[in-house]
Amino acid sequence: MTGMLLNGYVVSLQIFALTLIGAIPLGVLVALGRLSRFKPLSWLVGLYISLMRGTPLMLQMFAVFFIPYYLFGQQTGPDYMFVAVMIAFIVNYAAYFAEIYRSGIQSMPRGQYEAAQVLGYSRTQRFFRIILPQVFKRILPAMGNEIVTLVKDTSLAFSIGIAEMFTTSRALVASQRSMVPFAIAALIYWITCLVIEFVLRRIEKRMDYYHD
Amino acid sequence: MTKPKTREMPRPDISLTSALGLPAVYVKDARKSFGDKEVLRDVSLSIKQGEVVSLIGPSGAGKSTLLRCLTLLDTFDSGELAYGNVRVCANVPGESRTTYDKEAERQARMRFGIVFQNYNLFPHYTVLKNVMDAPIVVQKRDPKEVEEQARKLLERLDIADHADKVPDQLSGGQQQRVAIARALCMNPQVIYFDEATSALDPKLTQDMHRLIRELAHDGMAVGIVTHEMGFARDVSDRIAFLFDGQIVEEGTPDEVIGNPSDPRTKAFLANAED
Repeated sequence: MTGMLLNGYVVSLQIFALTLIGAIPLGVLVALGRLSRFKPLSWLVGLYISLMRGTPLMLQMFAVFFIPYYLFGQQTGPDYMFVAVMIAFIVNYAAYFAEIYRSGIQSMPRGQYEAAQVLGYSRTQRFFRIILPQVFKRILPAMGNEIVTLVKDTSLAFSIGIAEMFTTSRALVASQRSMVPFAIAALIYWITCLVIEFVLRRIEKRMDYYHD
Repeated sequence: MTKPKTREMPRPDISLTSALGLPAVYVKDARKSFGDKEVLRDVSLSIKQGEVVSLIGPSGAGKSTLLRCLTLLDTFDSGELAYGNVRVCANVPGESRTTYDKEAERQARMRFGIVFQNYNLFPHYTVLKNVMDAPIVVQKRDPKEVEEQARKLLERLDIADHADKVPDQLSGGQQQRVAIARALCMNPQVIYFDEATSALDPKLTQDMHRLIRELAHDGMAVGIVTHEMGFARDVSDRIAFLFDGQIVEEGTPDEVIGNPSDPRTKAFLANAED
């Protein structure tokens, strides 16, 4: 039983890790688009963020899963299931991360931009050397919240039949007529979150060498 | 992400400027409005190399706006601005607004530094990195050579012991000196101080006075925006009194502060006494 659960857990961790790897950098681009002075881009990105935050992630997953069929009449293979989940997760979480980045970027004092500008830094250098590192520290607590939520959100992949931990635990509950697999799965989710919180606290401590 | 451009940044060529006898900073007939409000009206001002010029005047007179335009954080509506032989903007016949030259702006940025009123140090960098980063990243200079210069500057400004600290571990006066070192490490020809001494005690004010005179002695042009009449009088070669967007009086400290001729200067100084 634990073997099956652990197999499911590995899939859950894959969804978790791949979402972070994709959404953390993508969120920066989305935030920059949202903050762009080119209004059409800013509005378009605003619409995207609003859609992502205003509709259920589960629905978005279904949308990504079925769109190729309805749009191109193409049957998708079973491999596409996982791809669809990843696209939906990354695109959804990038929207949430982007809003956190945006709040962080906008909270930066104007003097930091001006000092960098006077010293001759280009716009790119200014953003990546001066602004972003400071934004990172400011948004860490908010990001921690989202990341812990993501651990539990991976269970949504159950709805399109990915064999992640919740799916396997549910199958075990059905076959064994026992709630124990659910309890174990809950414990594993919880421990995972505890580990993540621990890691985040360590990072926060390391960033604590300065205050602004 | 886009990589920073690897283009060589020109180092300021002081020799040409002095050979031509050009002022380090030159502003002519500068105008600036915010909406209907005219903030600067035909301001002309120049600072020669080795000269200390203070800009005084009541709040809202346009001092900050002028300083922001001089440091290219804002733009004049019309008029001319030049740093030595680099003309940043000028009126083109037939154009209502002055025309800025991007390449000249870039070159001019290498010719001036500013010490902001609240310093604007980079809090995530150590003191040493605050001073070294722009010369290495922007001017593409050799890190070893930059570090040597940075350490010398910190030594000269008496903050060498704090090189590895971050700004928020330092007092306001120390942070200001880091900001000065950061500006000087770019080897500018002009340095601006926004409210140089408003946060300093008498001893530090005296140090600042000595430092500014030393910088001028070394050939730097120094521009100071200040409310402290006593300091302006002691440290400056020339004082310009800005009132309602115009320079209404300009001259030596003794002329402007000791014996003002314009009634607006007189009134301002009478209030500033106390």
